[in-house]
Amino acid sequence: MKIALVGNQNCGKTTLFNALTGSNQKVGNWAGVTVEKKTGIIKGTSHELIDLPGIYSMTPYTSEEAISCNYILNESPDLIINLVDTTCLERSLYLTTQLINLNNKIILALNMNEILEKKGQVLDEILLSKLLSIPCIKISAIKNENLDKLIKSINNNNFYISNVNIFPQDIENIIEKVSNSFSPKINKFSAITEIEKFSVDINEVNNHTFNINKKGKKIKYKFKKLIKKNDSNKINTEIKNQIKSNILQENIKSDIINLQQNYNLNLEHIFAYERYNFISKVVSKCINKNKITKPQKTITEKLDKIFLNKFLAIPIFICIMALIYFLSVGVVGKYSSSFINDGITSLSNLIENKLTKLNASSWIISLLCDGIITGVGSVLNFVPQLIILFLCIALLETTGYMSRISFILDKLFVRIGLSGKSLIPFIVGSGCSVPAIMSTRTIENQHEKQTTIMLTPFIPCSAKLPIIALFSSYFFARSWLITSIIYLFAIVLIIVSAFIIRKFILTEAINSFIFELPEYKKPSLKYVFKDVLQKTSSFIKRAGTIILLCSIIIWVLVSFNLSFTYGVNIEDSILAKIGGLFSWIFYPILNTNSWAATVSAIQGLVAKEQVVSSMAVIAGLSSEVSSASIIFNPNGVFSFFTPVTAISFIVFNLFSAPCFGAIGAMRKELGSTKKTLIAIAFQTFTALLLATLITFFGNLIMIFL
Amino acid sequence: MNSKKPKEKNEFNILHLNQKYKILDINHPNKALNRRLLDMGLTKNTIITIKKIAPFGDPIDIELRGYELCLRYNDLNKIKLEVIE
Repeated sequence: MKIALVGNQNCGKTTLFNALTGSNQKVGNWAGVTVEKKTGIIKGTSHELIDLPGIYSMTPYTSEEAISCNYILNESPDLIINLVDTTCLERSLYLTTQLINLNNKIILALNMNEILEKKGQVLDEILLSKLLSIPCIKISAIKNENLDKLIKSINNNNFYISNVNIFPQDIENIIEKVSNSFSPKINKFSAITEIEKFSVDINEVNNHTFNINKKGKKIKYKFKKLIKKNDSNKINTEIKNQIKSNILQENIKSDIINLQQNYNLNLEHIFAYERYNFISKVVSKCINKNKITKPQKTITEKLDKIFLNKFLAIPIFICIMALIYFLSVGVVGKYSSSFINDGITSLSNLIENKLTKLNASSWIISLLCDGIITGVGSVLNFVPQLIILFLCIALLETTGYMSRISFILDKLFVRIGLSGKSLIPFIVGSGCSVPAIMSTRTIENQHEKQTTIMLTPFIPCSAKLPIIALFSSYFFARSWLITSIIYLFAIVLIIVSAFIIRKFILTEAINSFIFELPEYKKPSLKYVFKDVLQKTSSFIKRAGTIILLCSIIIWVLVSFNLSFTYGVNIEDSILAKIGGLFSWIFYPILNTNSWAATVSAIQGLVAKEQVVSSMAVIAGLSSEVSSASIIFNPNGVFSFFTPVTAISFIVFNLFSAPCFGAIGAMRKELGSTKKTLIAIAFQTFTALLLATLITFFGNLIMIFL
Repeated sequence: MNSKKPKEKNEFNILHLNQKYKILDINHPNKALNRRLLDMGLTKNTIITIKKIAPFGDPIDIELRGYELCLRYNDLNKIKLEVIE
């Protein structure tokens, strides 16, 4: 059996999905965590469960909502589990009434009862089940309560299509008439959609009927003409039918016009209004206020008094962001990194000693120590820092503060054609651009979405962190200060670029903004842990695969010359020759023709941390040491770096084309190769320009200092 | 609020926290957004309460039908509202 999991945004669908299937999909406390449908098998059964992005109605507003609506309409699942957040029952049941009209078999899973009960209200699910004539089960997705009951009732498989009448009798009659006018008969939801197509301003009603008449005449005229021409009978009947349906519509139309005049509202409004009328009646019967207590202030209200306070909100936001980067890049990261770094160096020394004793050939020792351990190790160095960064982002997501950031800063973003919603991709992007670019699907305005996609790679992602850390820790005493300045610079760059894009590229950008502030939640340690573990392990996995492979290739290219002789002078190696071809590109940035820096920067396309890894392998071979922190030793190939060129090299690597993974995600979300290429060209050009300017003015300043 | 009569176009130049309004009609020129607002329950006769205002004055968090929703001032201004004393 194919079962779809459907419900509003942030009502706990993915939590339920994970609990039912035992899988480990990402959950968060903001709308739009799930942007694609995901499939799993319910534990202990053979039922397929499909987790869909949250929707409020069957009229999609964003591209990720369209995925859900299309799935429900086209794939016709055997059963729908409609998950409902009982704390906003009225709004949740709106979707339920539409699912009923679609003739779906539904089971209503009532979630978050404990929060409702805290508010002093109790939901009578038996009465609700009776009034909607669909089965209702109270569950708790997060505490795994009553899930066995839910699975049991799925297995019993005695579902029926609800026959409840949602609208007043006169409207139900019209719906019935319209759905009968089609053969085969269409469901009520489609019939309502057909009726809504008539939606016109009441003042235009008379004009409209006139147009229809005229149209009818036109068709008749065409019809006569066709008979004259002796065209095929098929076309004749087609046109006859068209006239017939016009007449039929004319009949229904008078009903619809009457309806519209009675309500003095748009048709869409009438249906929404009556749906909510029905729901309000149902809800007022089913919810019992067991205590007549004063409405107590919830924790969320109390916390919002502080976090969204007019004067405190901005300082608190700045403090939280600064703390995150201070923790991950500053003190904690530094100590833990050097710990791992020492481990890798001693491992490298140990292996070198052992192999020398075994009389292994020098190229094997070099491949292992200078190629593999140095290359992979230089990336693994940054794992502790990343764990802290991932942990902080996960906490922002699960506590509900992430959405508050959108709320606080929205006004600033409106000015540059973005909204608070763009901020979520930017923050997620400090972890990795790929999920960040995917999370832009919650942005409904296409221009805003595209601008956000183009700008998200400007945020220094976790893989770029090693580049910043490597250079800033060597060249600057207060490396955390340089790092913060670079992050701030990235933000300024995004704002300026967004402004430029809005002014010159995507000019039309008046957009609206609707979203919800989720309740504050205590972060579930289990999910935070799982999330951090998953992200970290995927980073380590990359070090073990892509980075390992690249390290070996770089080692080979750097150890051999064009006639494949081992142990040549590094300046004669294959890599030096390849890099030499392109090094002129980086001349304005580095003020020297460096093949080594050139090939390293280009490898950033594979993965940004590969830049560091490549530099380590090259430096390790050209000198005696293999530790990443001694890449810049005075006799090595990278000794030409000055503090100025170090910064401009960081800037180039940060803002040029992102890695292939992110480019792929951009291509997918922009939906156009041309736009993707424009975006990449824009990024790379910006990076080259900025890095050149920094070198030029930096050197100028250094002269005067 | 002052004892202003409910006007045809709602003119809440200054928003007050916890002020209640009744929706009279909704006709947002952006059709998709208009539909979304209806779907979210902003229908005729619904009571909305101003709950939170962002530090820079926009967006605005309103409460309706037992839940809260954030909207920009410009969109809220296109909904025909009546002040409830």
